[in-house]
Amino acid sequence: MIVCVAVVGHQNNPLYIQSFTEADDALKLHHIVHCSLDVVDERVNNPKRSGPTLNETYLGVLYPTENYKVYGYLTNTKVKLIMVTTDLDVRDADVRNFYRGFHAAYVNAVSNPFHVPGKKITSKTFAEKVSTIVKSFG
Amino acid sequence: MEDYPEELRTPPVALACLVGCPAVHGLITAHLHSQQPPINTIALPDFSKISVIPLKKPPRENSEPVGGIIRRDWLSKHRTRIPAVVAALFSSDNVYGDPAQWLQVCTDLENLKAVIRGRNIKLVVVVVVVTQSGHKDDTSEDRMTALRKRAELDAKNLIVFVPDDELELKQSLSRLWTAFTELANTYYRDEGRRIKTRLEKKNFSSMELNVRYCFKVAVYAEFRRDWAEALRLYEDAYHALREMVGTSTRLPPIQRLVEIKAIAEQLHFKMSTLLLHGGRVVEAIARLRQHIGNYRKLVGAPEVIFLHWEWLGRQYLVFAQLLETSSANVPNVQSMVSVPADKPTEWEYYPAYYYQLAASYLKEKKLCLEFALSMSENVGQIDGSAESVVASAYLGQFARLLEHDNTYVMQALTDDEYANHALAEGKRFQDSFEIIALLKRSFEAYSNSKAERMAAYCGLQMAKEYFSVSEFANAKQAFENVASLYRQEGWVLSLWEVLGYLRECSRGISSVKDFIEYSLEMAALPLTNNAVEPSFKDCGPAGPASLSQRAKIHEEALEVVRGESEENRDLKVNSDYPLYLEIDLVSPLRVVLLALVAFHQQTVKPGAPSLITISLRSQLPINVEIDQLEVQFNQSECNFIIGNGQKQNTAAISHVQPGRRVETAPDLVLATNKWLRLTYDIKSDQSGKLECMYVIARIGQHLTICCRAESPASMDDIPLWKFENLVETIPIKDPSLAFSGLKAIQVEEPDPQVDLTLGSTGSALVGEIFILPVTVASKGHAVYSGELKINLVDTRGGGLLSPREEEPFSSDNLHVELVDISWETHEDHSETRLDNIQKIQPSFGLISVPSLEEGNTWSCKLKIKWNRPKPIMVYVSLGYYPRKGEPSLQKVHVHKSLQIEGKTAVTISQKYMLPFRQDPLLLSKIKPVSDADQLPSLCLNESSMLIVSAKNCSEVPLRLLSMSIESEESNGACVIKPQHEEFKEPIVHMPGEEFKKVFTVMPKVNSTKLKIGTVSLKWQRDSRNFADDKSQVITKHRLPDVNIELPPLVVSLDCPPHAILGNPFTYSVRIQNRTELLQEIKYSLADSQSFMSSGSHSDTIYVLPRSAHTLRYMLLPLGLGPQQLPRVTMTSVRYSAGFQSSTASSIVFVYPSNPHFKASDILEIRKDSIAAD
Repeated sequence: MIVCVAVVGHQNNPLYIQSFTEADDALKLHHIVHCSLDVVDERVNNPKRSGPTLNETYLGVLYPTENYKVYGYLTNTKVKLIMVTTDLDVRDADVRNFYRGFHAAYVNAVSNPFHVPGKKITSKTFAEKVSTIVKSFG
Repeated sequence: MEDYPEELRTPPVALACLVGCPAVHGLITAHLHSQQPPINTIALPDFSKISVIPLKKPPRENSEPVGGIIRRDWLSKHRTRIPAVVAALFSSDNVYGDPAQWLQVCTDLENLKAVIRGRNIKLVVVVVVVTQSGHKDDTSEDRMTALRKRAELDAKNLIVFVPDDELELKQSLSRLWTAFTELANTYYRDEGRRIKTRLEKKNFSSMELNVRYCFKVAVYAEFRRDWAEALRLYEDAYHALREMVGTSTRLPPIQRLVEIKAIAEQLHFKMSTLLLHGGRVVEAIARLRQHIGNYRKLVGAPEVIFLHWEWLGRQYLVFAQLLETSSANVPNVQSMVSVPADKPTEWEYYPAYYYQLAASYLKEKKLCLEFALSMSENVGQIDGSAESVVASAYLGQFARLLEHDNTYVMQALTDDEYANHALAEGKRFQDSFEIIALLKRSFEAYSNSKAERMAAYCGLQMAKEYFSVSEFANAKQAFENVASLYRQEGWVLSLWEVLGYLRECSRGISSVKDFIEYSLEMAALPLTNNAVEPSFKDCGPAGPASLSQRAKIHEEALEVVRGESEENRDLKVNSDYPLYLEIDLVSPLRVVLLALVAFHQQTVKPGAPSLITISLRSQLPINVEIDQLEVQFNQSECNFIIGNGQKQNTAAISHVQPGRRVETAPDLVLATNKWLRLTYDIKSDQSGKLECMYVIARIGQHLTICCRAESPASMDDIPLWKFENLVETIPIKDPSLAFSGLKAIQVEEPDPQVDLTLGSTGSALVGEIFILPVTVASKGHAVYSGELKINLVDTRGGGLLSPREEEPFSSDNLHVELVDISWETHEDHSETRLDNIQKIQPSFGLISVPSLEEGNTWSCKLKIKWNRPKPIMVYVSLGYYPRKGEPSLQKVHVHKSLQIEGKTAVTISQKYMLPFRQDPLLLSKIKPVSDADQLPSLCLNESSMLIVSAKNCSEVPLRLLSMSIESEESNGACVIKPQHEEFKEPIVHMPGEEFKKVFTVMPKVNSTKLKIGTVSLKWQRDSRNFADDKSQVITKHRLPDVNIELPPLVVSLDCPPHAILGNPFTYSVRIQNRTELLQEIKYSLADSQSFMSSGSHSDTIYVLPRSAHTLRYMLLPLGLGPQQLPRVTMTSVRYSAGFQSSTASSIVFVYPSNPHFKASDILEIRKDSIAAD
């Protein structure tokens, strides 16, 4: 089950962060997402291998915690899409598929002419779309 | 890791035992220990001590119940007490001694064999040779053989040890080591194999034994340094143990699990160590994951659940320490590549990650322990009985030690007893400090690897731990570090939590300023939701992050400020402790109060009013009413105060200095995210920059917020709120001002009312002192403390100096210089000189101008000298005070500039001429040399003409005064006439005219480079304006050097000055030979139509040395007017030089009849001819 998804902007500021749990652990998930940004930075700043992975946007597992797994995705505009799941055995293909939908939803949301780039995403449609994708995951 | 016993932490080392001959033990022990692999030794001084080697236990009955999995002391027993090899050391004296000694040796050997046989320990016999005794060769061989037979040894295991000879000692030691290593390996292999066969045959009655056997085989393999085998068997043991979890029933459930976990921990530790030392980091990490996965869910009974968390935490801690100490390098982590789920991610290679996890589990343990302690009431009373609980003989088991008739008996514990024991043990430890220590390590490690967010998270947990033990100062510092990162990156919810803690810390250390600051910052955070979302409820001590909570916090802060707070008695704000908050450009409190100041103009005249708008905005959730605003400028007399019209009585409370301007605004209420705009006009009399520095808001009696003013043009977005979707409002109604307004205005200088005139007089001439009159005329301002600055600047850029010269102020290399400034003084001379500053440098001058009343004028003259032709700009600026004795006033400045061209006045050139109709043969002229290099050549001892011409290049008429030639060569090397000529009446020289003067030059010295001298022309401007100025200028021109030579031949033509038609005259050509040689000359005469001639036409003649030959012709003129004489052509054979008289010198005027001249006419004609030349 996906417990949290986040869109993180250029200054590592959250543009959209939504948790899908019943418990009061929004804050904990915020911390997990925030910490995972270090791994994204690390992977982006030290590109060693080139080749077929050069244009790869999907970053895979960023860091495992005991109860969660954190996945990352970096768009071409360097916006980070982070996902936290409680499923410890997830197929890579499923995650990639999830990100495809998530990225598309994000692109639609920021294509809105009334959206100011760099500001938080407050679109309700986006929220609904994301929640649908999250529910259909796994 | 330090908790583990030594034998577990270090790899096993083979053990040997030395018996007898204690003198050589030290030598052998040291040697064995230093080898690779090393061997540890037990040294027994004599054979009676061999009983320390424990005897073999009787074999286990299959029916016998198993007490535990692994004996606690098994490993240490094998490491320290049961040797693999025993070396019996006998002195050679005894071996070769008398029969009694020999018998003793045999007995000792038998006893030893009896002891070691049961354990299958290997034997080595060492004969220590004592040299003094000497060899008994006949007996020695027999005794040795007997000894070997008795000991049942191979020959190589009977070693003769010679301690006295260095070389032999070395050999003996090395043989000893080889034998020991070999035998030890055999021993451990045999032992391992023995137990392994049991495993292979499944010859064990219980799971416990399976685990135990695997463990033992693994340890024996480690003794042999067979790491792969050891690892494999540890793994087997681990898996067998894992199977026991659900099946074992030997112990009560809690203790059963505790035992299994303890064994699992040890086995895992061994495996991790082996993997990490083998450099297999990835496998080690994978194994750790698996290990944790295996046991994570086995939390055990709820009353001792803390033991589980402690155990988990320890697994991570130990792994972190292992990872830190292992030399294995972290493999290159693939970057920018999605990491597959089964591979470790970046942080898993760093110990920091495991420290952090260890800390988090330790924290979990702490919580559970606290809970468990609070649940069990009877911990206190069982404390006494818990003391008698000790670790039992088996690893991971505990038992009660009872004293029974002077013997101790172990009694098994019930689970309840064990739980009580565990609780009592747990109470003794201060977990918080350990947690903090772990987090600190993790924090530092993450900071070093630039993972600032991870570090911040560790810092946050650390701070919370400090907070939980009420170390508020430490906690506050740690929280502040974390808060700055969250602020910067806009993680509002996390920031809310941290600020909540910070608020509590400030309360804890009674820092009211911090408390108010954090409260206000929290209240102004961009959290606009209401507390409906459940997930936002648990957000630290400040409560749910919501709008209503913000309002509550705001209220609370205001209550503290007003001193009305009931809850916060420690936080005092009153007249003794007023509160002063400062908000600068980087302060997080900019969200609380932002002050923008914009002047409506960019520049203003002094004394003229300018509009200024002050815009204030706050993001606080509740409207803020300001009692008084003070606006401060860099010119403090402009400061003013805005009072609140609603609160007239409090507006005047304090801080109003007498004479200060006070305005009143109808109300000063700041609503959330709305601009409060106040516009006033402001006047400044002082020119320069007027800048608004601070806007100070006073709220209530004791709260002052000093906010640094910002310009709308350079305003940064306020932090945190910039990411929010807010309605953008502009701070000032005028949109252009909102984007370009500045908090500073330029107050201009007052207009000058003084004229500064530069008398322009055309271009200057090089060499003269050019005079530039400067006039200061007051037209409405009096001039006080006036200063006149003069600057000379090259119009083409660059300096006034020629670039080659180094010394800046030597007057020779200055192209243009300011020589002097002079002015007339009307008053007493000495007095004015005193207070006149005068400073003159070649390109800069500074003089003071005397005080002038209105309407007065003052003038001075600048004297500028040009050394080279060059156009320059003269900048003159006058600075003065319009009123006397007011130093605060700004100086008024007037600037003027003028371009002046510097021109050359006269150019001088020269020309040499030979005497008329006389031509010397100058050999240097024959040689083909390029014209440029050729110096003019003159004849030695012959007078030549020098014509010096001076051309007026300027645009003004000049008056020439004199011309002279100063000779450079001394003692009459060259005679020049006239040397100096003063013109009787000055010659007015118009522009473009050329003036010529003739000198005679007679060189007296034969020289190839004779310096003739320098022409000096003295002149002055022929100008009525400067009639009074008698300055004369000398222009100098150096004459080029000349080549003086002695001509070998001189040809001179001689004929009358004029001829008369029909009257014959004599025309003679005289050839002078000035050499000591005979000269052969060929000559010919060309016929002319105008003359009839007589004389030889062509011939070759010889001119004798130092004599002359004259060719004479009688000519009869046939035509009138200027006629060409017949041309004589001559060739000197010796010098191959031809001569033909020039056309000009061979013309004669033929009159029709004898003319009649008057003497005066002749004079006139001569004069004309000179002028014409």
